[in-house]
Amino acid sequence: MDREIIARVARVARLELTEEELERYAKDLDDILDNFSVLDEAPMTDSYTFNPIPVVDVLREDEPGQDLDPQVLRGQMSTYEDYVRGPRLS
Amino acid sequence: MSASVTSSLMRLAQQRYRAFVETVDHLDDAKFHFSAKDNLCAVGFQARAGSAILEGYVPPFDATPIRRLKDAGGQLIGKTTMDEFGFGTFSVNSAHGVPLNPFDITRSCGGSSGGAGAAACLIPGHVALGVSTGGSISGPACFCGVVGLSPTYGRVSRYGLIDYGNSLDKVGLLARSASLVREHFRTIAGPDPKDPTSCAQPTLPDKGRRPDSLAIPTEALTNLDPAVRKGFQEAVGRLKDMGVQVKEISMPSLRFAMPAYYILATSEASTNLARYCGMRFGRREEELNQHFNDFFTGVRSVSFGDEAKRRILLGTYCRMVGFRSRYYLKSLAVRQMLIEKYRKIFQEHQAVLTPTMPFIAPRFEEISRMKPLEMYGADFLTIPPNLTGMPHISLPCAYVDGLPIGMQLVSDHWHEMDLLEMASVWEGAFEYHHPEVRL
Repeated sequence: MDREIIARVARVARLELTEEELERYAKDLDDILDNFSVLDEAPMTDSYTFNPIPVVDVLREDEPGQDLDPQVLRGQMSTYEDYVRGPRLS
Repeated sequence: MSASVTSSLMRLAQQRYRAFVETVDHLDDAKFHFSAKDNLCAVGFQARAGSAILEGYVPPFDATPIRRLKDAGGQLIGKTTMDEFGFGTFSVNSAHGVPLNPFDITRSCGGSSGGAGAAACLIPGHVALGVSTGGSISGPACFCGVVGLSPTYGRVSRYGLIDYGNSLDKVGLLARSASLVREHFRTIAGPDPKDPTSCAQPTLPDKGRRPDSLAIPTEALTNLDPAVRKGFQEAVGRLKDMGVQVKEISMPSLRFAMPAYYILATSEASTNLARYCGMRFGRREEELNQHFNDFFTGVRSVSFGDEAKRRILLGTYCRMVGFRSRYYLKSLAVRQMLIEKYRKIFQEHQAVLTPTMPFIAPRFEEISRMKPLEMYGADFLTIPPNLTGMPHISLPCAYVDGLPIGMQLVSDHWHEMDLLEMASVWEGAFEYHHPEVRL
Protein backbone atom coordinates (compact mmCIF):
# COMPACT_ATOMS: atom_id res chain seq x y z
CA MET A 1 0.00 0.00 0.00
CA ASP A 2 1.57 3.30 -0.96
CA ARG A 3 1.80 6.39 1.18
CA GLU A 4 -0.61 8.35 -1.02
CA ILE A 5 -3.43 5.90 -0.27
CA ILE A 6 -2.75 5.99 3.47
CA ALA A 7 -2.63 9.78 3.36
CA ARG A 8 -6.01 9.83 1.59
CA VAL A 9 -7.52 7.41 4.13
CA ALA A 10 -6.14 9.55 6.96
CA ARG A 11 -7.74 12.68 5.49
CA VAL A 12 -11.10 10.93 5.31
CA ALA A 13 -10.66 9.81 8.95
CA ARG A 14 -9.63 13.33 10.03
CA LEU A 15 -6.17 12.25 11.15
CA GLU A 16 -2.97 14.11 10.43
CA LEU A 17 -0.06 11.71 10.27
CA THR A 18 3.65 12.42 10.54
CA GLU A 19 6.01 11.14 7.88
CA GLU A 20 7.06 8.36 10.24
CA GLU A 21 3.44 7.37 10.88
CA LEU A 22 2.60 7.37 7.17
CA GLU A 23 5.49 5.02 6.54
CA ARG A 24 4.70 2.73 9.47
CA TYR A 25 0.93 2.48 9.01
CA ALA A 26 1.34 1.85 5.27
CA LYS A 27 3.57 -1.12 6.11
CA ASP A 28 1.27 -2.36 8.89
CA LEU A 29 -1.87 -2.19 6.76
CA ASP A 30 -0.05 -3.90 3.92
CA ASP A 31 0.89 -6.81 6.22
CA ILE A 32 -2.59 -6.98 7.75
CA LEU A 33 -4.52 -6.87 4.47
CA ASP A 34 -2.16 -9.35 2.88
CA ASN A 35 -2.93 -11.74 5.74
CA PHE A 36 -6.66 -11.02 5.42
CA SER A 37 -6.66 -11.96 1.73
CA VAL A 38 -7.60 -15.47 2.89
CA LEU A 39 -11.14 -14.04 2.89
CA ASP A 40 -11.09 -14.22 -0.92
CA GLU A 41 -11.38 -18.00 -0.50
CA ALA A 42 -14.53 -17.77 1.66
CA PRO A 43 -17.84 -18.32 -0.14
CA MET A 44 -19.99 -15.22 -0.68
CA THR A 45 -23.69 -15.23 0.11
CA ASP A 46 -26.49 -12.69 0.08
CA SER A 47 -28.08 -14.09 3.24
CA TYR A 48 -26.36 -12.07 5.93
CA THR A 49 -27.54 -9.56 8.48
CA PHE A 50 -25.85 -6.67 10.23
CA ASN A 51 -26.22 -8.25 13.69
CA PRO A 52 -25.50 -11.81 14.84
CA ILE A 53 -29.01 -12.18 16.31
CA PRO A 54 -32.44 -11.06 15.07
CA VAL A 55 -33.21 -7.52 16.21
CA VAL A 56 -36.73 -6.22 16.78
CA ASP A 57 -37.99 -2.67 16.43
CA VAL A 58 -38.76 -1.10 19.79
CA LEU A 59 -41.41 1.58 19.90
CA ARG A 60 -42.66 3.56 22.86
CA GLU A 61 -45.84 5.51 23.43
CA ASP A 62 -45.75 8.80 21.56
CA GLU A 63 -45.55 10.89 24.69
CA PRO A 64 -42.98 13.56 25.48
CA GLY A 65 -40.24 12.35 27.76
CA GLN A 66 -36.83 13.49 28.89
CA ASP A 67 -34.21 11.12 30.29
CA LEU A 68 -31.43 13.65 30.56
CA ASP A 69 -31.51 17.39 31.04
CA PRO A 70 -30.02 18.97 27.88
CA GLN A 71 -28.46 21.62 30.10
CA VAL A 72 -26.38 18.92 31.78
CA LEU A 73 -25.24 17.59 28.40
CA ARG A 74 -24.34 21.11 27.26
CA GLY A 75 -22.16 21.40 30.35
CA GLN A 76 -19.55 19.25 28.57
CA MET A 77 -19.46 21.61 25.58
CA SER A 78 -18.38 25.13 24.80
CA THR A 79 -21.49 27.32 24.80
CA TYR A 80 -22.57 30.90 24.24
CA GLU A 81 -25.90 31.83 25.82
CA ASP A 82 -28.01 28.80 24.91
CA TYR A 83 -26.03 27.78 21.84
CA VAL A 84 -23.25 25.25 21.34
CA ARG A 85 -20.11 26.85 19.95
CA GLY A 86 -18.13 25.16 17.21
CA PRO A 87 -15.41 25.85 14.65
CA ARG A 88 -15.88 27.73 11.39
CA LEU A 89 -17.66 25.99 8.54
CA SER A 90 -15.74 27.86 5.86
CA MET B 1 13.88 -7.03 33.13
CA SER B 2 16.31 -5.18 35.40
CA ALA B 3 16.11 -5.38 39.20
CA SER B 4 15.32 -1.66 39.49
CA VAL B 5 12.42 -1.90 37.04
CA THR B 6 11.03 -4.93 38.88
CA SER B 7 11.39 -3.14 42.20
CA SER B 8 9.60 -0.09 40.85
CA LEU B 9 6.80 -2.30 39.45
CA MET B 10 6.51 -3.95 42.87
CA ARG B 11 6.08 -0.56 44.57
CA LEU B 12 3.41 0.36 42.02
CA ALA B 13 1.61 -2.96 42.53
CA GLN B 14 1.66 -2.56 46.32
CA GLN B 15 0.38 1.01 46.07
CA ARG B 16 -2.51 -0.09 43.85
CA TYR B 17 -3.33 -3.09 46.03
CA ARG B 18 -3.35 -0.92 49.14
CA ALA B 19 -5.84 1.40 47.43
CA PHE B 20 -8.08 -1.60 46.70
CA VAL B 21 -7.89 -2.86 50.28
CA GLU B 22 -8.56 0.55 51.80
CA THR B 23 -11.56 1.05 49.54
CA VAL B 24 -13.04 -2.35 50.32
CA ASP B 25 -12.38 -1.97 54.07
CA HIS B 26 -14.60 1.11 54.19
CA LEU B 27 -17.55 -0.46 52.45
CA ASP B 28 -20.94 -1.31 53.84
CA ASP B 29 -20.71 -5.04 54.63
CA ALA B 30 -24.38 -5.52 53.91
CA LYS B 31 -23.81 -4.63 50.27
CA PHE B 32 -21.72 -6.32 47.59
CA HIS B 33 -19.04 -4.42 45.69
CA PHE B 34 -18.34 -4.23 42.00
CA SER B 35 -16.19 -2.35 39.51
CA ALA B 36 -16.87 -1.32 35.94
CA LYS B 37 -14.65 -1.23 32.90
CA ASP B 38 -13.84 2.36 32.00
CA ASN B 39 -15.97 2.30 28.82
CA LEU B 40 -19.17 1.99 30.90
CA CYS B 41 -20.74 5.26 32.00
CA ALA B 42 -21.39 5.86 35.70
CA VAL B 43 -22.46 8.96 37.58
CA GLY B 44 -19.61 10.46 39.57
CA PHE B 45 -16.80 8.74 37.68
CA GLN B 46 -14.89 9.75 34.59
CA ALA B 47 -15.58 7.50 31.60
CA ARG B 48 -12.41 7.67 29.52
CA ALA B 49 -12.38 4.25 27.84
CA GLY B 50 -8.60 4.25 28.17
CA SER B 51 -8.32 7.25 25.82
CA ALA B 52 -6.79 10.69 26.24
CA ILE B 53 -9.52 12.09 24.00
CA LEU B 54 -12.10 11.40 26.74
CA GLU B 55 -10.03 12.99 29.51
CA GLY B 56 -12.37 14.74 31.93
CA TYR B 57 -15.61 13.31 30.57
CA VAL B 58 -18.00 12.64 33.47
CA PRO B 59 -21.30 11.22 32.18
CA PRO B 60 -24.51 12.34 33.86
CA PHE B 61 -26.08 8.87 33.83
CA ASP B 62 -25.42 5.22 34.66
CA ALA B 63 -25.08 2.51 32.04
CA THR B 64 -27.95 0.03 32.41
CA PRO B 65 -25.78 -2.84 33.82
CA ILE B 66 -24.36 -0.45 36.42
CA ARG B 67 -27.80 0.91 37.29
CA ARG B 68 -29.13 -2.64 37.73
CA LEU B 69 -26.25 -3.70 40.00
CA LYS B 70 -26.70 -0.58 42.12
CA ASP B 71 -30.45 -1.21 42.37
CA ALA B 72 -29.65 -4.75 43.53
CA GLY B 73 -27.59 -3.37 46.41
CA GLY B 74 -24.18 -3.10 44.78
CA GLN B 75 -21.55 -0.49 45.52
CA LEU B 76 -19.51 0.71 42.55
CA ILE B 77 -16.00 1.03 43.97
CA GLY B 78 -14.18 2.15 40.83
CA LYS B 79 -13.55 2.03 37.13
CA THR B 80 -11.00 -0.40 35.71
CA THR B 81 -8.33 0.40 33.17
CA MET B 82 -8.43 -0.94 29.64
CA ASP B 83 -6.91 -0.71 26.18
CA GLU B 84 -8.03 2.48 24.43
CA PHE B 85 -11.65 1.89 23.33
CA GLY B 86 -10.99 -1.86 23.70
CA PHE B 87 -8.25 -1.91 21.03
CA GLY B 88 -5.86 -4.50 22.39
CA THR B 89 -5.13 -7.94 23.76
CA PHE B 90 -2.80 -7.00 26.63
CA SER B 91 -4.13 -3.74 28.15
CA VAL B 92 -0.93 -1.92 27.21
CA ASN B 93 -2.67 0.50 24.82
CA SER B 94 -4.06 2.75 27.54
CA ALA B 95 -3.57 6.44 28.27
CA HIS B 96 -4.28 5.77 31.94
CA GLY B 97 -1.92 3.09 33.18
CA VAL B 98 -1.23 -0.56 32.51
CA PRO B 99 -2.62 -3.19 34.91
CA LEU B 100 -0.09 -5.66 36.32
CA ASN B 101 -0.86 -9.37 36.46
CA PRO B 102 -1.49 -10.38 40.10
CA PHE B 103 0.28 -13.72 39.52
CA ASP B 104 3.43 -12.04 38.17
CA ILE B 105 3.67 -8.27 37.92
CA THR B 106 6.11 -8.43 35.00
CA ARG B 107 3.32 -9.94 32.88
CA SER B 108 0.13 -8.72 31.25
CA CYS B 109 -3.37 -9.12 32.66
CA GLY B 110 -4.68 -9.62 29.12
CA GLY B 111 -7.00 -7.21 27.42
CA SER B 112 -8.84 -5.26 26.84
CA SER B 113 -10.63 -5.69 30.20
CA GLY B 114 -7.26 -6.11 31.95
CA GLY B 115 -8.12 -3.97 34.95
CA ALA B 116 -11.33 -5.96 35.43
CA GLY B 117 -9.32 -9.21 35.38
CA ALA B 118 -6.94 -7.91 38.05
CA ALA B 119 -9.78 -6.62 40.27
CA ALA B 120 -11.69 -9.91 40.02
CA CYS B 121 -8.54 -11.85 40.87
CA LEU B 122 -7.35 -9.69 43.77
CA ILE B 123 -10.54 -8.92 45.71
CA PRO B 124 -12.44 -11.83 47.26
CA GLY B 125 -16.18 -11.56 46.64
CA HIS B 126 -15.70 -8.88 44.00
CA VAL B 127 -17.48 -8.86 40.68
CA ALA B 128 -16.06 -6.89 37.76
CA LEU B 129 -18.10 -5.68 34.80
CA GLY B 130 -16.11 -6.25 31.62
CA VAL B 131 -16.89 -5.76 27.95
CA SER B 132 -15.96 -8.14 25.15
CA THR B 133 -15.80 -7.33 21.47
CA GLY B 134 -13.31 -9.97 20.29
CA GLY B 135 -12.16 -11.66 23.49
CA SER B 136 -11.77 -8.87 26.00
CA ILE B 137 -13.37 -10.83 28.85
CA SER B 138 -12.04 -14.32 28.11
CA GLY B 139 -8.45 -13.12 27.63
CA PRO B 140 -8.10 -11.30 30.98
CA ALA B 141 -10.04 -14.07 32.76
CA CYS B 142 -7.53 -16.58 31.38
CA PHE B 143 -4.37 -14.62 32.27
CA CYS B 144 -5.69 -13.57 35.70
CA GLY B 145 -7.03 -17.02 36.64
CA VAL B 146 -10.69 -16.08 37.11
CA VAL B 147 -14.07 -16.95 35.62
CA GLY B 148 -15.12 -14.70 32.73
CA LEU B 149 -18.58 -14.84 31.14
CA SER B 150 -19.26 -13.13 27.81
CA PRO B 151 -23.02 -13.42 27.26
CA THR B 152 -24.88 -13.76 23.99
CA TYR B 153 -24.82 -10.55 21.97
CA GLY B 154 -27.96 -8.69 23.06
CA ARG B 155 -28.45 -10.46 26.43
CA VAL B 156 -27.17 -7.48 28.44
CA SER B 157 -28.10 -3.92 27.52
CA ARG B 158 -25.36 -1.80 25.97
CA TYR B 159 -27.03 1.46 26.99
CA GLY B 160 -24.26 3.61 28.48
CA LEU B 161 -21.46 1.64 26.87
CA ILE B 162 -18.91 3.59 24.85
CA ASP B 163 -19.09 1.63 21.61
CA TYR B 164 -16.21 -0.11 19.91
CA GLY B 165 -18.13 -2.32 17.45
CA ASN B 166 -21.92 -2.10 17.71
CA SER B 167 -22.60 -5.54 16.29
CA LEU B 168 -19.97 -7.19 18.50
CA ASP B 169 -19.89 -5.49 21.93
CA LYS B 170 -21.15 -7.50 24.91
CA VAL B 171 -21.17 -6.56 28.60
CA GLY B 172 -20.22 -9.47 30.87
CA LEU B 173 -18.71 -10.39 34.21
CA LEU B 174 -15.45 -11.56 35.76
CA ALA B 175 -15.16 -12.99 39.28
CA ARG B 176 -13.34 -15.65 41.27
CA SER B 177 -16.16 -18.18 41.00
CA ALA B 178 -19.01 -19.25 38.75
CA SER B 179 -21.48 -18.78 41.60
CA LEU B 180 -20.59 -15.07 41.88
CA VAL B 181 -20.92 -14.63 38.13
CA ARG B 182 -24.24 -16.50 38.10
CA GLU B 183 -25.70 -14.39 40.90
CA HIS B 184 -24.93 -11.07 39.25
CA PHE B 185 -25.48 -12.14 35.66
CA ARG B 186 -29.14 -12.62 36.44
CA THR B 187 -29.23 -9.00 37.65
CA ILE B 188 -27.69 -7.39 34.58
CA ALA B 189 -29.37 -9.57 31.92
CA GLY B 190 -32.77 -8.85 30.40
CA PRO B 191 -34.46 -6.52 27.94
CA ASP B 192 -33.92 -2.78 28.09
CA PRO B 193 -35.94 -0.52 25.76
CA LYS B 194 -32.95 1.81 25.63
CA ASP B 195 -31.03 -0.86 23.69
CA PRO B 196 -33.24 -2.48 21.03
CA THR B 197 -30.72 -5.29 20.48
CA SER B 198 -31.54 -6.51 23.99
CA CYS B 199 -35.27 -6.75 23.32
CA ALA B 200 -35.37 -9.90 21.19
CA GLN B 201 -33.98 -12.20 23.88
CA PRO B 202 -35.77 -15.18 25.37
CA THR B 203 -36.24 -15.30 29.15
CA LEU B 204 -33.21 -16.42 31.10
CA PRO B 205 -33.98 -19.88 32.53
CA ASP B 206 -33.71 -20.51 36.28
CA LYS B 207 -31.16 -23.22 35.79
CA GLY B 208 -29.00 -24.48 32.94
CA ARG B 209 -28.35 -27.95 31.71
CA ARG B 210 -24.84 -29.27 32.18
CA PRO B 211 -23.36 -30.03 28.75
CA ASP B 212 -22.58 -33.75 28.54
CA SER B 213 -21.01 -33.67 25.10
CA LEU B 214 -18.29 -31.24 24.01
CA ALA B 215 -16.65 -30.72 20.62
CA ILE B 216 -13.05 -29.59 20.19
CA PRO B 217 -12.18 -28.18 16.73
CA THR B 218 -8.79 -29.60 15.77
CA GLU B 219 -7.98 -26.25 14.13
CA ALA B 220 -8.04 -24.69 17.61
CA LEU B 221 -5.23 -26.96 18.75
CA THR B 222 -2.64 -25.60 16.34
CA ASN B 223 -0.13 -22.87 17.20
CA LEU B 224 -0.43 -23.47 20.93
CA ASP B 225 2.37 -23.02 23.42
CA PRO B 226 3.35 -26.61 24.43
CA ALA B 227 2.60 -25.82 28.10
CA VAL B 228 -0.90 -24.66 27.19
CA ARG B 229 -1.47 -27.74 25.05
CA LYS B 230 -0.37 -30.03 27.90
CA GLY B 231 -2.46 -28.22 30.52
CA PHE B 232 -5.50 -28.21 28.25
CA GLN B 233 -5.15 -31.93 27.46
CA GLU B 234 -5.00 -32.68 31.20
CA ALA B 235 -8.19 -30.68 31.68
CA VAL B 236 -9.86 -32.63 28.87
CA GLY B 237 -8.84 -35.84 30.64
CA ARG B 238 -10.39 -34.57 33.83
CA LEU B 239 -13.63 -33.69 32.01
CA LYS B 240 -13.78 -37.21 30.59
CA ASP B 241 -13.28 -38.61 34.10
CA MET B 242 -16.30 -36.52 35.12
CA GLY B 243 -18.38 -38.37 32.54
CA VAL B 244 -18.37 -35.66 29.86
CA GLN B 245 -18.00 -36.89 26.29
CA VAL B 246 -15.35 -34.98 24.37
CA LYS B 247 -14.87 -35.40 20.65
CA GLU B 248 -12.47 -33.74 18.22
CA ILE B 249 -14.14 -32.32 15.12
CA SER B 250 -13.02 -30.30 12.13
CA MET B 251 -14.10 -26.68 11.62
CA PRO B 252 -11.92 -25.40 8.76
CA SER B 253 -13.94 -22.21 8.32
CA LEU B 254 -12.46 -20.94 11.60
CA ARG B 255 -9.56 -19.58 9.53
CA PHE B 256 -11.87 -16.89 8.16
CA ALA B 257 -12.91 -15.67 11.60
CA MET B 258 -9.92 -13.48 12.46
CA PRO B 259 -9.91 -11.35 9.27
CA ALA B 260 -13.71 -11.10 9.22
CA TYR B 261 -13.72 -9.98 12.84
CA TYR B 262 -11.05 -7.32 12.43
CA ILE B 263 -12.70 -5.93 9.31
CA LEU B 264 -16.13 -5.65 10.94
CA ALA B 265 -14.76 -4.39 14.25
CA THR B 266 -12.51 -1.71 12.74
CA SER B 267 -15.17 -0.66 10.21
CA GLU B 268 -17.65 -0.11 13.02
CA ALA B 269 -15.03 1.50 15.27
CA SER B 270 -13.93 3.95 12.60
CA THR B 271 -17.47 5.32 12.36
CA ASN B 272 -18.11 5.21 16.12
CA LEU B 273 -14.97 7.20 16.86
CA ALA B 274 -15.99 9.95 14.44
CA ARG B 275 -17.93 11.54 17.31
CA TYR B 276 -14.71 12.33 19.19
CA CYS B 277 -13.77 15.61 17.62
CA GLY B 278 -13.02 18.02 20.48
CA MET B 279 -16.54 19.38 20.83
CA ARG B 280 -18.93 17.08 22.62
CA PHE B 281 -17.08 14.76 25.02
CA GLY B 282 -13.88 14.88 27.02
CA ARG B 283 -10.96 16.78 25.60
CA ARG B 284 -12.13 20.11 24.21
CA GLU B 285 -10.36 22.13 21.57
CA GLU B 286 -10.67 25.78 22.64
CA GLU B 287 -9.44 27.51 19.49
CA LEU B 288 -12.70 27.87 17.56
CA ASN B 289 -11.41 30.29 14.96
CA GLN B 290 -10.30 27.58 12.56
CA HIS B 291 -11.92 25.53 9.82
CA PHE B 292 -13.83 22.54 11.19
CA ASN B 293 -11.61 20.10 9.29
CA ASP B 294 -8.50 21.47 10.98
CA PHE B 295 -10.30 21.67 14.33
CA PHE B 296 -11.42 18.01 14.25
CA THR B 297 -8.18 16.73 12.73
CA GLY B 298 -5.99 18.50 15.25
CA VAL B 299 -7.60 17.18 18.41
CA ARG B 300 -7.97 13.64 17.02
CA SER B 301 -4.37 13.46 15.83
CA VAL B 302 -2.84 14.42 19.16
CA SER B 303 -5.31 12.49 21.36
CA PHE B 304 -5.74 9.06 19.78
CA GLY B 305 -3.08 6.48 20.58
CA ASP B 306 -1.09 4.44 18.10
CA GLU B 307 -3.39 1.39 17.95
CA ALA B 308 -6.52 3.55 17.78
CA LYS B 309 -5.11 5.34 14.74
CA ARG B 310 -4.15 2.03 13.12
CA ARG B 311 -7.66 0.62 13.58
CA ILE B 312 -9.36 3.81 12.40
CA LEU B 313 -7.23 3.72 9.24
CA LEU B 314 -7.92 0.02 8.65
CA GLY B 315 -11.66 0.41 9.18
CA THR B 316 -11.89 3.53 7.04
CA TYR B 317 -9.98 1.81 4.24
CA CYS B 318 -12.22 -1.29 4.34
CA ARG B 319 -15.34 0.87 4.01
CA MET B 320 -14.10 2.95 1.09
CA VAL B 321 -15.77 2.77 -2.31
CA GLY B 322 -14.32 -0.12 -4.25
CA PHE B 323 -13.32 -2.16 -1.18
CA ARG B 324 -16.63 -2.43 0.67
CA SER B 325 -17.77 -5.58 -1.11
CA ARG B 326 -14.41 -7.31 -0.87
CA TYR B 327 -13.95 -6.64 2.83
CA TYR B 328 -17.02 -5.49 4.75
CA LEU B 329 -19.80 -7.39 2.97
CA LYS B 330 -17.64 -10.50 2.69
CA SER B 331 -17.04 -10.38 6.44
CA LEU B 332 -20.77 -10.19 7.12
CA ALA B 333 -21.21 -13.29 4.94
CA VAL B 334 -18.44 -15.09 6.84
CA ARG B 335 -20.11 -14.28 10.15
CA GLN B 336 -23.36 -15.79 8.91
CA MET B 337 -21.55 -18.88 7.64
CA LEU B 338 -19.80 -19.38 10.99
CA ILE B 339 -23.09 -19.06 12.88
CA GLU B 340 -24.46 -21.86 10.69
CA LYS B 341 -21.33 -24.00 11.27
CA TYR B 342 -21.67 -23.57 15.04
CA ARG B 343 -25.38 -24.43 14.83
CA LYS B 344 -24.54 -27.65 13.00
CA ILE B 345 -22.09 -28.61 15.74
CA PHE B 346 -24.68 -27.80 18.41
CA GLN B 347 -27.03 -30.38 16.86
CA GLU B 348 -24.71 -33.08 18.23
CA HIS B 349 -22.82 -31.36 21.05
CA GLN B 350 -23.90 -28.88 23.70
CA ALA B 351 -20.75 -26.79 23.64
CA VAL B 352 -17.47 -26.20 21.83
CA LEU B 353 -14.33 -26.44 23.95
CA THR B 354 -10.93 -24.85 23.24
CA PRO B 355 -8.08 -23.34 25.22
CA THR B 356 -8.80 -19.65 25.86
CA MET B 357 -5.44 -18.14 24.91
CA PRO B 358 -2.66 -19.86 22.97
CA PHE B 359 0.02 -18.95 25.53
CA ILE B 360 0.38 -18.02 29.20
CA ALA B 361 0.36 -14.33 30.14
CA PRO B 362 3.31 -12.79 28.27
CA ARG B 363 5.88 -10.48 29.82
CA PHE B 364 5.64 -6.79 28.94
CA GLU B 365 9.04 -6.93 27.25
CA GLU B 366 7.76 -9.75 25.00
CA ILE B 367 4.66 -7.72 24.12
CA SER B 368 6.77 -4.70 23.18
CA ARG B 369 8.46 -6.80 20.48
CA MET B 370 5.20 -8.05 18.92
CA LYS B 371 4.03 -6.74 15.55
CA PRO B 372 0.35 -5.67 15.19
CA LEU B 373 -0.55 -8.78 13.21
CA GLU B 374 0.97 -11.04 15.89
CA MET B 375 -1.16 -9.30 18.51
CA TYR B 376 -4.30 -9.71 16.41
CA GLY B 377 -3.45 -13.40 15.94
CA ALA B 378 -3.29 -13.92 19.71
CA ASP B 379 -7.10 -13.64 19.74
CA PHE B 380 -7.69 -16.49 17.28
CA LEU B 381 -9.43 -18.67 19.89
CA THR B 382 -11.64 -15.97 21.40
CA ILE B 383 -12.70 -14.30 18.14
CA PRO B 384 -15.04 -16.99 16.69
CA PRO B 385 -17.65 -16.88 19.49
CA ASN B 386 -17.39 -13.09 19.68
CA LEU B 387 -17.84 -12.64 15.94
CA THR B 388 -20.91 -14.88 15.95
CA GLY B 389 -22.41 -13.47 19.17
CA MET B 390 -22.29 -16.88 20.89
CA PRO B 391 -22.04 -16.89 24.70
CA HIS B 392 -18.77 -18.21 26.08
CA ILE B 393 -17.05 -18.66 29.40
CA SER B 394 -13.37 -18.91 30.32
CA LEU B 395 -12.40 -21.04 33.31
CA PRO B 396 -9.00 -21.68 34.87
CA CYS B 397 -8.10 -25.25 33.91
CA ALA B 398 -4.40 -25.72 34.75
CA TYR B 399 -1.33 -23.92 36.12
CA VAL B 400 2.18 -23.78 34.66
CA ASP B 401 4.90 -22.52 36.98
CA GLY B 402 2.15 -20.97 39.08
CA LEU B 403 0.56 -19.13 36.13
CA PRO B 404 -3.01 -19.91 35.06
CA ILE B 405 -4.15 -21.46 31.79
CA GLY B 406 -7.76 -21.11 30.69
CA MET B 407 -10.25 -23.20 28.78
CA GLN B 408 -13.18 -21.67 26.92
CA LEU B 409 -16.63 -23.16 26.44
CA VAL B 410 -18.96 -21.82 23.74
CA SER B 411 -22.66 -22.61 23.53
CA ASP B 412 -25.51 -21.65 21.24
CA HIS B 413 -27.14 -18.24 21.49
CA TRP B 414 -28.97 -17.64 24.80
CA HIS B 415 -27.52 -20.74 26.56
CA GLU B 416 -25.41 -18.91 29.14
CA MET B 417 -26.93 -20.84 32.02
CA ASP B 418 -25.66 -24.12 30.54
CA LEU B 419 -22.15 -22.69 30.57
CA LEU B 420 -22.52 -21.57 34.17
CA GLU B 421 -23.82 -25.00 35.12
CA MET B 422 -20.75 -26.59 33.55
CA ALA B 423 -18.52 -24.08 35.32
CA SER B 424 -20.03 -24.97 38.70
CA VAL B 425 -19.48 -28.68 38.11
CA TRP B 426 -15.91 -27.99 36.98
CA GLU B 427 -15.19 -26.04 40.15
CA GLY B 428 -16.19 -29.08 42.16
CA ALA B 429 -13.43 -31.08 40.47
CA PHE B 430 -10.69 -28.49 40.01
CA GLU B 431 -9.40 -26.09 42.62
CA TYR B 432 -8.60 -22.53 41.53
CA HIS B 433 -5.48 -20.80 42.83
CA HIS B 434 -5.32 -17.15 43.79
CA PRO B 435 -2.07 -15.25 44.15
CA GLU B 436 -0.78 -14.23 47.53
CA VAL B 437 -0.31 -10.49 47.59
CA ARG B 438 1.53 -8.76 50.44
CA LEU B 439 1.23 -5.13 51.42
